[in-house]
Amino acid sequence: MPEHIQTTAATAPAMTMRARMKAPEWGALLIFLLAEIVFFTINSPYFLSWPNLVNIITALSITGILAAGGTILLIAGQFDLSVGSGTAFVALMFALAAQSLGIMPATGIAIVVGLGIGMLNGFLVTVVGVNALITTLGTLAIFRGLTLSIGGASSLRITGFDWAIARPFLDIPLSALLFLAIALIIAVLLSRTVFGRTIYAIGANENAARLVGIRTKKTLFIGFVISGLCMAVTGLVSASQLGSTSGTTGMGLELAVVTAIILGGTSLKGGTGSMFGTVLGLLIVGVLNNGMTLMNINSTWQQVAAGTLLILAVSFDQIRQRFIRA
Amino acid sequence: MVAPAFLSVRGMRKSFGPVKVLHGVDLDLAPGSVTALLGENGAGKSTFVRILAGDHQADEGSIAINGTPAAFRTVAQSRDAGIRLIAQEIADAPTLSVAENIALGALPNRFGFVDYRAMRETASRALSSLGADLPLDAPVSSLRLGERQIVEIARATAGASRCLIFDEPTAALSDAETRRLFALIERMRAQGTAILYITHRLDEVFAIADRVCVLRDGRVSLDAAVADTDQAAVVAAMVGHAIATHHDHYAYAEKPGEKLISVRGLTADSFSDIALDIAPGEIVGIYGKIGSGVPELAGAIFGALPYAAGEITMDGSPVRFRHPREAVERGIGFLPADRASEGLLRQRSVAENLAAPSWHRLARGPFISRAIETTAFSRWHKALNVRSRPDGAERILTLSGGNQQKVLLGRWLEAGSRLLLLVEPTRGVDVGARQEIYQVLRDLARQGHGILIASSDYEDIVEAATRAIVMVRGQMVAHLPQADISTARLTEAAGGGAHA
Repeated sequence: MPEHIQTTAATAPAMTMRARMKAPEWGALLIFLLAEIVFFTINSPYFLSWPNLVNIITALSITGILAAGGTILLIAGQFDLSVGSGTAFVALMFALAAQSLGIMPATGIAIVVGLGIGMLNGFLVTVVGVNALITTLGTLAIFRGLTLSIGGASSLRITGFDWAIARPFLDIPLSALLFLAIALIIAVLLSRTVFGRTIYAIGANENAARLVGIRTKKTLFIGFVISGLCMAVTGLVSASQLGSTSGTTGMGLELAVVTAIILGGTSLKGGTGSMFGTVLGLLIVGVLNNGMTLMNINSTWQQVAAGTLLILAVSFDQIRQRFIRA
Repeated sequence: MVAPAFLSVRGMRKSFGPVKVLHGVDLDLAPGSVTALLGENGAGKSTFVRILAGDHQADEGSIAINGTPAAFRTVAQSRDAGIRLIAQEIADAPTLSVAENIALGALPNRFGFVDYRAMRETASRALSSLGADLPLDAPVSSLRLGERQIVEIARATAGASRCLIFDEPTAALSDAETRRLFALIERMRAQGTAILYITHRLDEVFAIADRVCVLRDGRVSLDAAVADTDQAAVVAAMVGHAIATHHDHYAYAEKPGEKLISVRGLTADSFSDIALDIAPGEIVGIYGKIGSGVPELAGAIFGALPYAAGEITMDGSPVRFRHPREAVERGIGFLPADRASEGLLRQRSVAENLAAPSWHRLARGPFISRAIETTAFSRWHKALNVRSRPDGAERILTLSGGNQQKVLLGRWLEAGSRLLLLVEPTRGVDVGARQEIYQVLRDLARQGHGILIASSDYEDIVEAATRAIVMVRGQMVAHLPQADISTARLTEAAGGGAHA
């Protein structure tokens, strides 16, 4: 093995240079978020208060937990569109089991159901070989349909299961703390572990990943199972937050999740992105929704704003890449 | 007496953002002559021809057609001037038929409806002038890579073209197809077409070109009649200095009974009944053109492709790898033929690309860091002479082809592989880096690595192998000891006959 003569003194400044040059990837998002915050602070005196900031995070918790699992999958070049209906199905199974078996066994069942949805998606994509978009579009419809036909039109009440709204620390609800914890775990998983490296490798080039000895299918399967586990958690959080569940629970969540991940800089083609970026994406949408509500702007306009934002962010990224491309 | 140029380029400059690619290129293409354009990867050849084809626009400089200034803002404008580019990457419409692909962009029509009979006639004529017999109605996706290249060439030559630009056309062609392409180029030249021919292969330059032009760092470093120059001068113009032709000689001293791997009766769709032994310190070169089954054989041994029958033995016990992972764990490294689609983790860093097969070994528990990968990279950065930052933090795609290949080779050295299966190890690698790779392989063999080179480039075998095998259509047809390895013997055994 050759001697490494390069002095650390010579490489250290180079590393900081790289950190500085890398900043623009999410730097623009951070600047945009700050601009939002300044704008809403000027327009609403309540905006920058601690209770409101807690509100923003709390409102994000379900989307955020699902986006954490979704970030892993999108970096690997995969999708999971079944997260919204999966959440509703988990919540329904939990509510039914809670009525007859009690809270604790029902919680176990909810986790098993979430894992099952993830395993079904993973099996179809990695073993059968169906494209992830089509697979999860199918399971989206299946679990929404099952939720509606088993649960019926009316909503089911769940009593004695309000842990998610408890505020054990700095007046922050448990659901929000859970989101922050899961985001942190996924961030570490992606950036600091061998599993994370293999996820990026598969997204960058699945063929090449296989040829360096990575078990690509096994890794993707685990990715879908993690997404299923996130659905189990959000099903429980949703049941606890609302004290009930219905056929429309989690409707449209999949789009909010994908919007936040892509806004956060993860490429649709895979291979790049980070949990930090996804959190920024979530915050940009969350702050926008919260601020517009405080300014009494109709919530239908919030959708228009979020959609416009997504397109602007991605167009900006395209233009930037075209400029950089040599 | 110099014929007036059909196409004349003066002072062409082009930058992409901060990257200056062309720094003032002058070039004349005379009708009825073949100009070879050479240059290392990144010298600006592809950018230059894409400007001529109207695909990119120059920042400065002028283009004149028959002395009249011209500006190509679109591909259509360049086509109207009679210029056709046969690009390096195949850009066909895979689901359309051969005939439709050939007519693409100039579909014959009557009152707006496609005239299918005229289309088929044009396609048939273009193919027969190339001596190719392809089914006109088959979708091009059903063709081999080489055949698709023929379709691309037929499209360019079907219409009335006055200037043909070939960007490394023979990379995907068989020997027979290459000879027919050269015959076509001769005919087009006789008809007065101006031809620009980009290649890496010096033998092709001296076989078909009248002039040779070399680009280095976006400038013309040599522009001469082929008769007035020689290979050494061309190479020197490409790399900027003379390359030592004398190199280190490595011979394998046979030690009986010592084997890394033994293959017996290996059979799959693309090869049959293959027997092969590789010993530590040996560099076995398998030479075969497209369709010979050589890359598939290497892939099957590695567990990347399935095989129907046969036995592989390592260290005295039979093995059957169902996933490359199992081969990697037994100490085998694999360099795939197509670097971009099978080798590179494209958006990832140089260090990450090098460390990939070793992540599990390098990790502390489940955890790995950039620092660990940088340390791994620094072990090979100097040894392999990789031109990159010492910490390997930049994206792998920012390196040149040769340096990318060194990183992919270093991947397996870091992983501690004893047996290296290298498919097309120097494809898309420039002249200087080629020699460096051969030297690395000789050094590795000296240290006791066993190496298999599976290549369609005879230079790989001639330069590095200690023993050669020639394959034709899935069969081993010749075994050559080191002393007998030569370009002539290899091409003769492969049924070709050198075209140089």
